[in-house]
Amino acid sequence: MGAYLIRRLLLMVLTLFGMSVLIFVMLRLVPGDIADILTNASGISDPAEKAKIAHELGIDQPILVQYGKWIGGLFRGDLGYAYVSEQPAIDEILPRIPISGKLAGMALFFAVLLGVPLGVISAVRQNTKLDYFLRVISLSGLSLPSFWLGLLVLMGSVHWFGTIPIYNSDPHGFFDDVAMLGLPAMVVGFRSSALIMRLTRSSMLEVLRQDYIRTARSKGASMIAVNFKHALRNALLPVVTVIGIEAAFLVGGLIVTETVFNIPGVARFLVEAILWRDYPIVQNLVMLIAFVVVMINFLVDMAYMALDPRIKFAD
Amino acid sequence: MRKRMAVAAASLAALVTTGLVTVASPAFAQKAGGTLHLAHRENPPSASIHEEATISVNQPFMAVFNNLVLFDPKEKVNSPDKIVPDLAESWAWDDTKTKLTFKLRSGVKWHDGQPFTSKDVKCTFDAVSGLDEKIDIMRKSPRRIWYTNLKSVTTNGDNEVTFTLGRPQPSFMSMLAAGYSPIYSCHVPGRDMRTKPIGTGPFKVTEFKRNEVIKLVKNPDYWKKGRPYLDAIEWKIVPNRSTRMLGFQTGQFDMTFDSDVSFPMLKDVMEQKKDAVCEARPTNVRSDILINRDAPPFDNPDVRRALVDTIDFKAFSDILSQGHNLEGAAMLPPPYGVWGMPKDQVALLPGHNPDVAKSRSEAQALMKKLGYGPDKPLKIKVATRNIAIYRDPAVILIDQLKQIYIEADLDPIDSSVWYNKIAKKDYQIGMNLTGGGVDDPDTFFYENFYSKSERNYTGYNNPEVDKLIDQQSAETDIDKRKKLVWDIEKKLAEDAARPNIGHNYDNTCWDPKLKGILLQVNSIYNGWRFEDVWLDK
Amino acid sequence: MAIIDHDRALARAGANVTGFWSQAAFLARRYPLGAVGAVIVSIFILTAVFADVIAPTDPTATNSKFSLAHPGSMFWLGADFMGRDMYSRVVHGARISLAVGAGAMGLGGIIGISVGLASGYLGGWFDLLLQRLLDIMQALPLLVMAIVMAAALGPSLRNTIIAIAIPLVPTVARVVRSSTLSLREQPFVEAARAVGMGEFRIAVRHVLPNTLAPLIVLATAQIGSAILVEASLSFLGLGIPEPHPSWGRMLSESAAEYVRTAPWLVIFPGVAISLTVFGTNLLGDALRDILDPRQRT
Repeated sequence: MGAYLIRRLLLMVLTLFGMSVLIFVMLRLVPGDIADILTNASGISDPAEKAKIAHELGIDQPILVQYGKWIGGLFRGDLGYAYVSEQPAIDEILPRIPISGKLAGMALFFAVLLGVPLGVISAVRQNTKLDYFLRVISLSGLSLPSFWLGLLVLMGSVHWFGTIPIYNSDPHGFFDDVAMLGLPAMVVGFRSSALIMRLTRSSMLEVLRQDYIRTARSKGASMIAVNFKHALRNALLPVVTVIGIEAAFLVGGLIVTETVFNIPGVARFLVEAILWRDYPIVQNLVMLIAFVVVMINFLVDMAYMALDPRIKFAD
Repeated sequence: MRKRMAVAAASLAALVTTGLVTVASPAFAQKAGGTLHLAHRENPPSASIHEEATISVNQPFMAVFNNLVLFDPKEKVNSPDKIVPDLAESWAWDDTKTKLTFKLRSGVKWHDGQPFTSKDVKCTFDAVSGLDEKIDIMRKSPRRIWYTNLKSVTTNGDNEVTFTLGRPQPSFMSMLAAGYSPIYSCHVPGRDMRTKPIGTGPFKVTEFKRNEVIKLVKNPDYWKKGRPYLDAIEWKIVPNRSTRMLGFQTGQFDMTFDSDVSFPMLKDVMEQKKDAVCEARPTNVRSDILINRDAPPFDNPDVRRALVDTIDFKAFSDILSQGHNLEGAAMLPPPYGVWGMPKDQVALLPGHNPDVAKSRSEAQALMKKLGYGPDKPLKIKVATRNIAIYRDPAVILIDQLKQIYIEADLDPIDSSVWYNKIAKKDYQIGMNLTGGGVDDPDTFFYENFYSKSERNYTGYNNPEVDKLIDQQSAETDIDKRKKLVWDIEKKLAEDAARPNIGHNYDNTCWDPKLKGILLQVNSIYNGWRFEDVWLDK
Repeated sequence: MAIIDHDRALARAGANVTGFWSQAAFLARRYPLGAVGAVIVSIFILTAVFADVIAPTDPTATNSKFSLAHPGSMFWLGADFMGRDMYSRVVHGARISLAVGAGAMGLGGIIGISVGLASGYLGGWFDLLLQRLLDIMQALPLLVMAIVMAAALGPSLRNTIIAIAIPLVPTVARVVRSSTLSLREQPFVEAARAVGMGEFRIAVRHVLPNTLAPLIVLATAQIGSAILVEASLSFLGLGIPEPHPSWGRMLSESAAEYVRTAPWLVIFPGVAISLTVFGTNLLGDALRDILDPRQRT
C-alpha cells in the first residue's frame, strides 16, 4: 500500500513533468509569437523593433534556458510575467480561478442533483416508457453542443425575462452569484448530468441483480427501502468516480460556455491567451488544468481504495 | 443607496442649472453624475494610444488624455479649418510656414499630481517621431511616418513649444488634432502607459482588467471647469457581438461600440429597443484587396486586371450594408470626405464600372486568353484576418471570383501573424481593412502607399506616386491640392494598389438618456473625449 | 441481465432469421433505440455522400437579394445574411462533419491501434514508455488538447482532423492494449507461434481481429464526440474556415447576431449537429450491447 502510494505519486510528478515539456515545445511550434503580435497589431513590421521586444520579454533566449527559467520559477511560486498585460502571470490567473471554480462547482452540483435521482428512477423502472424517455433525455444531453444550448438559453432568457445574465465582477452575496452563474452552470452541468445518470442507472442495475438484494426483497423489505438503502449505496461507488473525472473534464464545457455567456473565467482566458501567444499564461494554465486532472484521478483512486477493500492495486 | 444619491445629486444639479442658467443655456441643461456603461468589442491590445492603430484603444482611452489641439468636437466633419485649442491656448506659424509655436495652458496637472509642462510635449513628439529613440515612454509608433517632416521640437520656458518642419506641410495641424495624437508625460514609463496610463484628461484609469473591464473615473482636478459631467465610465469587454447587442437591448449598456451595428442587424436592435437612438455614418475605414504582384499568378497584369474587373461593388455593399457602403476611390468620397474624388470620376476607374456584366465578360475573355476556363480554374487562396469584419467580404469575394474561373479557398490568418505574412509576401491576395485616423491625404497616403512607410505592408513602390504624395503635401492651395490627390487616387486604381470594395458605413446606437454624443462623419477615431457627455436620469 | 447468446435467441425467434435483413429486423425489435440511431446515422451518411444531388445549390453562392430570406418554397431552411441557401449549407455540412468524424477517428484509430498493439504485444520498457506518454496526453481534457493543437496547426479541414485525431489516440491505444494483453497468452496465439509464424503477423492476423468488437463500440462513441469537438472548435474560430459550411462555424458569431430576426440560422445547424451525434450515441449504445456485453450499461 505504502509502496503503491509512492509509486503513484512519482508517476504523477512524471506526468506533470512530461506535460510541461510537451506544452512548452508545442507552444513554440505555433507560428507567430508575441513579438509579432505586439509589433503587428499596429501594422508595422520592423525587425529591429521586434528584436527589441523579444529581448525585453526574454523570448530571444535559447529554448532550454527559457524552459529552465519557467520551471525554476514554478518551484518558487513565480509564474513569470504575462506578455500582454505586463503583470505577474499569477495576478492574471489567480482572480479568475474562483470564477471558473464557482461555475464548475455549481454545474457539478446541478449535475448530481439531476443525474443521480433520474438514474435511480430509470434503473428501477427498467425498460418502461419512463426509462426510455429518461435514457433519450440523457443521451440528448451528451449530444447537444453546449454552446448551442447556451445560445438557446440566452435567447430564451431574453424572450421570457427580458434580460440576460451579464457577468458582474462584484456580486452582492450568494444570490447575486446564483442569478449570474446559475444559467451557465446548468448549461455546463447538463452534459455531466447525462453522464452521471447513465452511470447511476447501469451500476444500479448491476447491484439490483445481486443476490443480497434478492434476499432483502424476499425477506419482504419494501421496494423503496431496497432501492435506496441497499442498492443505491452500493451503486454510488462508480458514480463517485465519474463525478471526479467529470469535474476535471468540465473544463471543456467551461471554455465554450464562458465564451457564450461572457464570463471572464480561466477557461476562456486560456483560449484568448493562446490566440495572443501569451506563453506564460498558456503554460501555467495548461499546467494548472493538468494538475487538477491528475490530482482528481489520484484522489478518485484513493477513494476507491478506501471505500472498497476488495480492490488491490497492481499495475 | 448609491442610486438614491445619484438621483438626489442629479435633481440638485437640475435645480441649480435650471435655476441659474435658464437664461444662458440652450433648451436643455446638462446634469452631472452617473456612470456610463459601455460594451467593448475586444480586449484592447494596450492602453497606449501612440503604440496602437485601432479604435479599440482610441475609444476607451482618448478620454484619459488631452491633445495640443483637437478637431472641434462640436462639428460633424473633421476639417483643417475646424481645429480648436486643447492643451495649447493658441498657436502661430512663422512666415516660412515651417515653424509652429504653441502657447500652452498653465496650471494643468497630470493624474498623479505632477505639473504638465512644455517638456512633456517635447518628450511625446520626440518619441513618436523617433527624433529621440531613447525616451522610454512608448514603443515605436505605427504613425512615425506622419512626422518624417518634423525636424525638431524646442521648448521655451514651461509654457511654450515650437515645432520646426523641413518644409511647409499644411496637414501638420490635422495630425496634431487627431485622437491618435495625445500628449504623454515624460515621467511615466511605457510599461505603465500600456497598462494604467496617466494623462491630463477628464477621466482617470482606475482599472484595466484584461478581458474583463476598463474603469475610468472623473478627474476632479480637470483643468476645464465643470467637466466632465459623468462620474465614471465603465467598459465591459464583451467579445461576442450578439451578447453585446443583447446587453444594449436589455439596458445593461448605454451605448454600442462605435459602428458595431451593421445594417442587417439594425432592424433587430430597433425592434427590441424601441427608444434607441441610432445613427449611421461612414467610418473612414475601407475594405480593400491586397494583391501580391511579386508572385504568380498576380505578377501578371492581365490577371490583376481581370480580378479588378470582376469586382461587383454593389453586391458587396448590398450584402454587407444593405447598400449603404459608399463607393469611392482611395480617400473617403464626398460629401462626407473632404478630399475624395467626385462620383463621376470614380465611375471611370478600373473596378468601378457600373456595367458589371460588361466588365466581367472582358475579365472572362482575359482569363480565357491565359488558358483558364470553367474546366480549368485558377486555384488560389484568399488570406484574411480571422475576424468577422474581414472574413465576410472575403467570402463574398471568393464567390465573385468564381465568375472568372478562379477557385479560391479562404486562408484565415490569426491577427498575430497577419501583417507579418503580408509583409513577407506570403500570400496571393488578401482581404483587408484600411482605416484612416484622419480624413487627410498626408496621413493616408504616407502611411499606406509611400514607398518608405512601414505601414505600407504591401510594399507598394511607385516613384511617380511618391513624388505626387510629396507634392500634394506641400501644396497650400486646397483646390490645387485636391486635384493632386485625385491624380494619386487614379494612379493607385490603375495600378490595382489595394483596390477597394467600399467605404464602410455603419450604425452606432445609444440610449436616449445619453446626451451630448456627437458622431463625426469622416473619422471614428477622433471624437471620444467624453467630457461633454451626460446622462439624463 | 445475463449475457445474451444472440444465435440462440435468433434461433428461438424462428427459422427465417439467417438472412441479413431478417437479422437486422430482429435486432431492431430487440434494440428499438439502436435502430433509431442506425436510421439517423444512415441518413447522415447518405446525406453526406449524395449532398450534391440532394442539395444542388452551391452552398457558398452569395446573393444580396436573398439576405436573411425566410424559410419557404425557395429556401426550405431560409438563407443567411449573405443570401446563402441554408438547406444547401446544412446538407453539405454533413459532408464536413462526416469527414471530420470519420477522418479523425480513422487517423486516431490507426495511430492508436498501432501504439496499443505494439505496446501490449512487445511489453517491457517500450510499453512502459508509451504508457507514460499516453498518461501525459490524457492529463488534458479532449477539447483543451484539441484547441492547443488546432491553434498550433492553423484552421483548415486537414488540420482540424489532425487536431482532433491526436487526442483520441490514448483512448484507442488503451483499449487495444488491454485486449492485446489478455489475448497474447491465448492458446491460438501460442499455436500460431508454435507453427513458426512471425510476431508481427501474429499481432496483425490473430490478435488485432479479436480486439475489433470493443474498437467498433469505442469508434462509434468517439465519432460523435469528434463531431462535437469540431463544432466547438469551429465555433471558437479555430476549426474549419469559412466559406465551408461547417455546422459549428454556422453557429458562431453571425448566426447568433440574427437570432431573433432569423432564428433559422441558429436552429437548423444546431439540430443537425445534435441529431447526428444523438444518432451515433444511440447506435453506439446498441452496438455495445450487441458486440461487447461485458461493457453493458
